[in-house]
Order: sequence, then structure tokens, then C-alpha cells
Amino acid sequence: MKRRQLLTGLGAGGLGAAALSALNAGAAHAQTGDPIPIGAALPMSGPSAGDGIEFKNGLDLAAAEINAAGGILGRPVEIHIEDTREMGADLVGQAMQRLIDRYNTPAIVNGYNLGANMVELDVAADNDVIVLHNNTQIAHQERVKSDPERYYGGFQTDPAEYWYGPGCLNFLNELVDAGQWKPANRKIAIVASAVEYSIVIGNAIRDKAAEFGWEVSVYETVPFPTNQWGPVLAKLREDPPAAILVTHFLAQDLAQFMTQFLTQPTPSLIYMQYGPSLPVFREIGGEAINGVIYSTVIGGLPDAFAAKYREDYRANFGDTASWLTGSQTYDALWMYATAAAVAGGPGEPFNGEQARKVAGVLKGMVHRGMSGSFRFDPEGLVAYSYPTETKDPSLGLPHQFLQHQDYRTDPKLIGPQLYADSQFMLPPWLS
Amino acid sequence: MTKTSGRTDLLIALVLIVVAIAIPFQIDSRYVLGQIVLALFYACIASQWNLVFGFAGIFSLAPVAIFAVGGYATAMLCFFLGWSVWAALLPAALVAAVFSVLIGLACLRLTGVYVALLTLAVTQVMYLLIVTDTECFVQVGSVCRQLTGGPGGFSRFGDFGTRQLLKGDWMIGNYAIVCTLFVVIMVVTWVILKGPMGHAFRAIRDNPGYAVARGINRFRVQLLVFGLSAFLTGLAGGVYAAHFQVIGPTILQLPQLMFIIAIVVIGGTGTFWGPLVGTLVLMGADELMREVGEFRTLGLGLIIAASIVLLPNGLVGRFRDLMRYAGRNRSAGLKTSKDIQ
Repeated sequence: MKRRQLLTGLGAGGLGAAALSALNAGAAHAQTGDPIPIGAALPMSGPSAGDGIEFKNGLDLAAAEINAAGGILGRPVEIHIEDTREMGADLVGQAMQRLIDRYNTPAIVNGYNLGANMVELDVAADNDVIVLHNNTQIAHQERVKSDPERYYGGFQTDPAEYWYGPGCLNFLNELVDAGQWKPANRKIAIVASAVEYSIVIGNAIRDKAAEFGWEVSVYETVPFPTNQWGPVLAKLREDPPAAILVTHFLAQDLAQFMTQFLTQPTPSLIYMQYGPSLPVFREIGGEAINGVIYSTVIGGLPDAFAAKYREDYRANFGDTASWLTGSQTYDALWMYATAAAVAGGPGEPFNGEQARKVAGVLKGMVHRGMSGSFRFDPEGLVAYSYPTETKDPSLGLPHQFLQHQDYRTDPKLIGPQLYADSQFMLPPWLS
Repeated sequence: MTKTSGRTDLLIALVLIVVAIAIPFQIDSRYVLGQIVLALFYACIASQWNLVFGFAGIFSLAPVAIFAVGGYATAMLCFFLGWSVWAALLPAALVAAVFSVLIGLACLRLTGVYVALLTLAVTQVMYLLIVTDTECFVQVGSVCRQLTGGPGGFSRFGDFGTRQLLKGDWMIGNYAIVCTLFVVIMVVTWVILKGPMGHAFRAIRDNPGYAVARGINRFRVQLLVFGLSAFLTGLAGGVYAAHFQVIGPTILQLPQLMFIIAIVVIGGTGTFWGPLVGTLVLMGADELMREVGEFRTLGLGLIIAASIVLLPNGLVGRFRDLMRYAGRNRSAGLKTSKDIQ
């Protein structure tokens, strides 16, 4: 029996639910205790509102399941949302502080917030609360390492953006080695946008390119957000590279890139960042997005283990809802609930002793979620990436490579090999 | 400005100082204190923009650029040279003043909308230069830091030391620092406005031809107001960076500038208390509308639009009109009863 078949039938959050049920068995007052307020500072408006809604969906679904399993030691969880709008350190910091002051939240489970400069960690440290976020930034581990005693409660539940660089180059080489793609030359073009996330990835690709046998022919930075791709495309058409790597990540902008690119395509493979995972990319781009490859270091897997989660997600939030994105906060809340139960309760703000217990459990736990296996680097408190950072798939989140092969259906997972359910296909403009 | 208005200003200031002192004793929510601190920063920038636009009549759109220069200079002095935040604040304010004077030299030969366009262009160019800065200047651990901080900006370059000193009550310490800054800025602004400089600013605004005929050098006076207001705005920028321990390019985005302009317009351009009143109204409205989610931005837009249509001189201007109207009625009433007698 294959591992995938063995896991079929397990409900969404099945392992976590089983663990919580066992922990709740001893609770004298199942579902009768005071609710545990859990905060979430999410971009519910502004340029990342699409993701903010999915993050909220993920939290709502996880909260419903956790409560159905008996809550955390008999206490149901209650989600409170605060809008971080255009994000940034001041807005995110104030949103988190408001959640703590107003609802007394012992934990805050965010998706990502751009430009927050890890202010999340300071708010968590100042108030002795736990924060789990998906900012996907190497800056997290640097901050935690700078003062581990202070930042004990800050966890990044996905790998740093840095891993996109070597991961992407490695993937290109695998395609070449497997004979699935014959590049016209060894040139790559990098198109980044003016946000740290995009630029760190762009720089990581640029810095590692030569090591993987590639030459960067174009490195272009565009404003964030942008949908005017004409000047960039003109440059690319002047000296067509073998691959165009777009590290800008807003789905609507990336869809526009594809429609504008296809008016005069170059013989280049197109790789994009994160945005193509959102339904809006397919809705706006339509047929033009067929062939696009993208990757994400975190996202719901299209595997058997997550089948019930996907089904429930769509049943609750509609067929076009992005379970891939929602899984990020879904998994994070399950992890927190399990850790808080094991630690004997969530505590409350300014209860440093209890918060440290919860953080201690989180730090040591391995959780198989809808996005893969979570384990935190004990020094930087950042989830490991498989296969570039750790070779053990049971201890790292798979760096997933997906391809849109038919815009009317879900994208196909084409890497890493262990998780892949489809083969790479040459894009229409190359075949 | 009359002695009566001076006494009124003093009375209002005393009441506000009493309220400011009482706030930390009455409010134990760190969030609310944080919002008040944020409001004070807005009021600081708005009061200086009001000095430039409302009193001196220069349509500059550079207030957030100058604020950002103050914040960036503070952060860079601390980050690259290892200075303490306290040591960096005044030199950073000076950098902001020099920056503003340079802008002034370039644009004060122009008038009206051309000044606005040029200063707005400077702000946007600053934003683009920072966010597109990808070159590694120093390596901090495994993170590459650009000279300008790049799109991520600067963080963890130092603070006021209130966290170490006051532990959990650090926000009260920061509140006291920002309150002091606000008081200093308002006092300096008041002294400027009461003195010959203030009269010169208003003269240039109200009738440039007549002011020049009376020997006022328009260019020099406007350059002076640019430099003075920029020093105070830059100082506020430095304190802002130290309070949040972060300064990034988002501060240069258009919504921030629009918010400052809206504060002054709602409060009353060319009025001393207008920026503070505008800040209280807009921040208060923003806070109250938090619960209505997506209608929050619409609500703020409606308030701004209604203010422009119904209160062309702002809330302080309308209040002043009402007081004048009431005063006239009182005089008329007294005259009538005297006539009857």
C-alpha cells in the first residue's frame, strides 16, 4: 500500500484532531470553558485582500474543526480579525496590539504582512504572546537569533524566501537533465518588483545563477503593484532568455504579464512566484496562463492526505476559493491548538511563563499539515524547506513546483518528485 | 494677532497639557496609547505643513518626504555609524532641513501648482529610488542590507531605551517623549507665528506684491519657512523611526500625504489649532469605523468631501466664524437695548 493510499480517508487535520481529542479526554468541562480568543492581523483590504480573505477562511475552518474536537482542553477557540490594510510596520503593529488589548489574545495567527519588518516579533515579545506568521522572510531568523530570549514566541510557519532562489535554479536544471526541456541558451531574465520579498528572491536567484550554470541577462525591477509590462517585455524581446523568472507575486499583475507576453512570445520558459496559485490568476489570464510554472514554499498539497480539507474548504467557501492559500493559517492554528493543549493551556498576555511553555512545545513538535511537514529550526524558529534545506521530507515543507496545464482546472504539481502527481509539459508557445 | 487670541491659545494649551498628563493615568490600553502617539506624529507633520501652506502660502507636497528624510537619517546614523537614537535625532533633523532648503532652492522660484508638482515629484522619486535599490551595501548575518534600506527599510537600529527602563510600561515612556516633541513643535510654531517672521509669512501669502513693496524678500522668507518647518518635521521623523524602530518607504506613499493634507483641510488651513483638531477628527473617525470593514475608506472619503463642501475654512475656521457671529449679535443686542432705554 502506498503512503498516499494509507493516508486517504484521514479527515482534514485528522492527526491534529486525534491528538486534541486525546488531550481533551481528561478535560472535565469539554466545550464548556471560556472561549480562547485567537487574534489574526490580516490584510482584509488593500492589494493583498484576496489572500487576507483566504487566510480568514483557513482560520475559520480550523477553528470549527478544533471546536468540534473539543477545543483546547475543553475551551473553544474564537477568532478575532483586525485589518492591516496596506500593511507596513505601523499598521501591523497597531493591529496586533489592538487584538491583544481588546480581546486578550494569548496568540496571534497571521498570514503574511508585507513591509512589516518583523514588527510582529516585537509586539509578541512586549506582550508575552505567541505569534505565528507566513511572512516568508529570512529576516525572521536573523531577528530571533539576535535575541532568542526576547523573541521566544515568534514562529514563521513557512521557509524563508531565500530558498526560492536555489530551489528555482535547481528545478530548471532538473528539467534539462531529464530531457524534458531544451533551453535555447543559458540565459535567464529576472523580473522583480519593489518589495523586499520579491527582491530577496530575485537577488538569491541572481547570486546563485552562475553556480547552477546560468547567466543573468536581464534584472529588471518594476513598481509594486504594476500591470504595465510593455517596457519590460520590450527588453526581454531584444535578447530572449531561456527562462523568464518573475518574482513579483500579485496574481492580477502576473495574469496581465501573460496576456501581454503572448502577443509576441519569446522562446522562454516562464516561471512565476506565488500569484499563479490564486484563482484570480486563472480568471483574469484565461487560456494565456497555460504553461506557466510557479512555485511556493508553502501551500496546500493536492494529495490524498489533504483531500477532505480541500473538499471542506470548497464546500464552505465556494468552488473558486483558494484552499492552497487558506491552508497556511489552517495549519498554523492547528499547530498552535495542539501545542497549547500539550502545554496545559494557552495562558493570557503577559503570562510569560505559560507562553514559554507553549513556545517550547511548538519548537519541538513535528506537524503533518495540509502543506506538508512542519518542523521549526530551533535557533531561528522558521519552518524547514524540503528538498533544498533539508533532505528529509518528513521534516520540511515541500518547495512545490506547479504548472498550469489547463486554465479550467487546478494546476498540476510537477515537483518535488516525491509529491508530484503530474509531468512537466512544454508551454504552448514553446511546443 | 491680538492679546485676546494669545490668551485663548495659552488657555487651550494649558487644558491640553493637563489632558495629556492625565491620559496615561486614565488609559491602560497600550493600543489606545499607541494610537494617540500615532495621532501626535500626524499632528506634528500637519502643523508644519500648515505653517508652509496655510500661513506662508507655499503649495508644497513634500511634508512626508521631509519627515521620511528625518526618519531615514536617524536610522542610517544609528545603523551604519552605531550612534544612539538620542544622539542622531538633532543631526537628522538638520539633514532634513538642508534637504528641504535644497528643494526650496530648486522650486521656490516657481509658484502655485508648479511648486506642488515639483515637490510631489521629489517625493515619488525618493520612493522609487529606495524601493528599487537592490544592491547589497552591507551584509547583516544572511540578510543583505542596501544603502537606503531598500524596500524593507531599516529596523532594529536602536530605541529610546524605554523598554529597558520601564519594562511593560515602555509605551508610557514613549508617549511622554512624543508629547514633549509635540509641545516643543507647537511652542516653536506659535513663537514663529507671533513674531515678525509670522507676519512676513502671512504678508507674502495674502499679497505678495504689497509685501515685496514693503521690503520683504519673498524668496528668502519662503526659504526660511521651508528650512524651519523641515527641521521640526525631520525631528518628528526621527522620533517616529525610533518609536516604531522601523522606517521604510511606505511612509512615502501617496495615501500618507493625502491623509496629512486631509487633516489640515478638515482642521482649518492657516489656523494654529487646525492640524490638531483635524488629526483628532480623522483619527477618531478612522477608529470608530474600524468595525465597518470595507466601508471604512468610503466613510473617511465622505468626511473629507463633506468638510471641503460644508467647511471651506475647516472646523476651526467655522468655529471662529460662529464666535464672531455670536459676538456681533451680542453687540447688536446691547445696542438695541441701549437705544430703547
